[in-house]
Amino acid sequence: MKNKFLQKTKDIVTKWEFVLVMIIAAEFIIFGAADFEKFMRPASIFSSINNYISICIISLFVTFVMITGGIDIQASSIVGLTSIVIGVLWSDAGLNIWMAVLLAIITAGLAGALSGFLVAYCNVQPMVVTLGGSFLFSGIALLVSGLSATPAYQGINGFPGKNEAGEFIAFRALGKYKLFDVIPIQIVIYVALIILCYWLLHKSKYGRKVFLVGVNRKAAEYSGVNSRWIIMSTYILTGIGAAIAGVLLTANVDSAKYNLGSTFTLSIITAVVLGGTLSTGGKGSIIGTALAALAIVILRYGLPLCFGVSTQNLDLPIGIMLVLVVSARELASNPRTSSYIRKLFRKEHSIE
Amino acid sequence: MNLLKRLSRVRWLSSLVFLIILFTVTGIINPTFFSYENIISAFNSSVVFTLLAAGIAFVIMTGEIDVSIGATMGLSAAIAGTIAQRGGSIAEMLLYAAVLGIAVGIINGVGVAIIKVPSLIFTLGIMGIVRGLVYVYSGGRTVENFAGDFTNLGSKTIFGDITIYYSIVVVVIIAGHLILTRTRSGKNFIAVGDNIGGATLIGIPVVWTKVLAYILSGIFAAVAGVAFASKYGQVNIVAGSGYEMSAIAACVLGGVSLSGGLGSLLGAGIGAVIMSTIGRLLVFIGLSSDFDNTIKGIMLITIVVTDALMHTRSVEKARRARLAARASSHNDVKVDSADEK
Repeated sequence: MKNKFLQKTKDIVTKWEFVLVMIIAAEFIIFGAADFEKFMRPASIFSSINNYISICIISLFVTFVMITGGIDIQASSIVGLTSIVIGVLWSDAGLNIWMAVLLAIITAGLAGALSGFLVAYCNVQPMVVTLGGSFLFSGIALLVSGLSATPAYQGINGFPGKNEAGEFIAFRALGKYKLFDVIPIQIVIYVALIILCYWLLHKSKYGRKVFLVGVNRKAAEYSGVNSRWIIMSTYILTGIGAAIAGVLLTANVDSAKYNLGSTFTLSIITAVVLGGTLSTGGKGSIIGTALAALAIVILRYGLPLCFGVSTQNLDLPIGIMLVLVVSARELASNPRTSSYIRKLFRKEHSIE
Repeated sequence: MNLLKRLSRVRWLSSLVFLIILFTVTGIINPTFFSYENIISAFNSSVVFTLLAAGIAFVIMTGEIDVSIGATMGLSAAIAGTIAQRGGSIAEMLLYAAVLGIAVGIINGVGVAIIKVPSLIFTLGIMGIVRGLVYVYSGGRTVENFAGDFTNLGSKTIFGDITIYYSIVVVVIIAGHLILTRTRSGKNFIAVGDNIGGATLIGIPVVWTKVLAYILSGIFAAVAGVAFASKYGQVNIVAGSGYEMSAIAACVLGGVSLSGGLGSLLGAGIGAVIMSTIGRLLVFIGLSSDFDNTIKGIMLITIVVTDALMHTRSVEKARRARLAARASSHNDVKVDSADEK
């Protein structure tokens, strides 16, 4: 009985998610101790998460891609593409705003499908395809913004959804509405997406296939899984995820710009990797990614607030965290760390 | 015929042909492009990208990746800038750049080759740290107002309008190319990237080769930073961010395979010229520079997809040839059944 309990505790403690929870807890303790009053204001906590919600959302979907053994560095350029497509369709083509949003999401899905097709059916390396995609889609976004009467650098604004009383309705509500006047709608959507992705990846047949393709693509193919379609679908999902982030961002800042989100790429990859997803595929979890994204957001929120670190200089602590965490994980998972010389000669031929 | 076949296998030559086609098409659409001056300046202006692409090519050849080069370049540019402000010599800048490049390279190399963290992730973290150091070093301010003729150095030419910088870069690239293809230790890079298990078995120092690749990548990036500072005359805290992606794209355009084991420095250099002149060519064609990224993206995707499809076809062809050879060498009775296959 007691053994079982110990075993269970050990299982939980050695899980990567537990480490992430510890990191988050440590962040809370340190920041709380430094400046409790400032740090614990719900309003400012939520508004901070609001700034990084795109990274959180996209990283959920990139987890799927990484589990199949791929990588997606084009998602951040799709955010801008979605935003500008909405803007141009609404302001210059005169479409209904919801129609514009729908078409923008479809565009993003197609963008993902193009890269997914090239990766899955033409066997091109995912890194190169999505690198090309990031150039291509940010370029197309710029060209689309050229179709608009508004100059590209200005951004299209004045979206509908603010009534006379100054309340946000319809489209703008997607960016500004607050549940119970505290929780921003983005967080509600994010939580819903976490649940959806969790079900999709860990509870559905589709998710099992995604893992199987990541662990061993040949075996998956022989057991009747259409591995090409599974791989392609993960890129479509990421495109749609980026589109959702783009819609929320556009509604929040009330401006459709071609370069929204262009700086997100590295934060997204950081969140996914820190969440315990193997970049070689076959391992990963939605909860891990969500927790890692949270840890990054809190760090980005707490450092400027409690320690006066400049907001321009947040790459440094996040870089240190990433390097330390992944190195420690790599060393800890290696039983022969102590006899390091032997490892040098031993591990050479067993590359994962 | 045989010679042609052999030439078509040299990957950098096809990149060079592509570059010539690009120039020719531009020249046909707008004949004013065809002047010696225009074509030379296309090469001259690619110094920074050529250095970055050549450096990262070493790492990519060994099958890894280094996304920290943009940040390394930024930090080195900031350091070179402050030295220039007080009128220091270019030798001093290069010394600091080399030290910085070696330091970043060793850290990257240790993380990737010894601790065995996946290279994209480790260099991503290092990139964040180095980018942060740029901020710490410059205090968040743009480094500018260089003393002396540091900023004019970049436009000084030696012969035939080729700038000093570009001629040095060309010499370095050709020397590097020869070392990589002609010497024993140079060939280690390709060997490690092509087949790491095999390389280990025949006694190539795999770990050291990877660390060395990162060190070279760091040094090239840091030297590119000096050229960057000299070219633009000011260095802000985001200088060089996103350059790593362009450098990787340049390598791919130059025929360096991201899965390792294929490619050359010359290819990377040619790819860098393509990457950095697209914008200029667009102006001559009469398109707005808004098309820049779209064209780059289409070009990159087309090239890698063609490459991948051709590779798949050649593998398939080799497999068929092998099967046929095996069948005919066994005994003549079974030939028919093998052919049907």
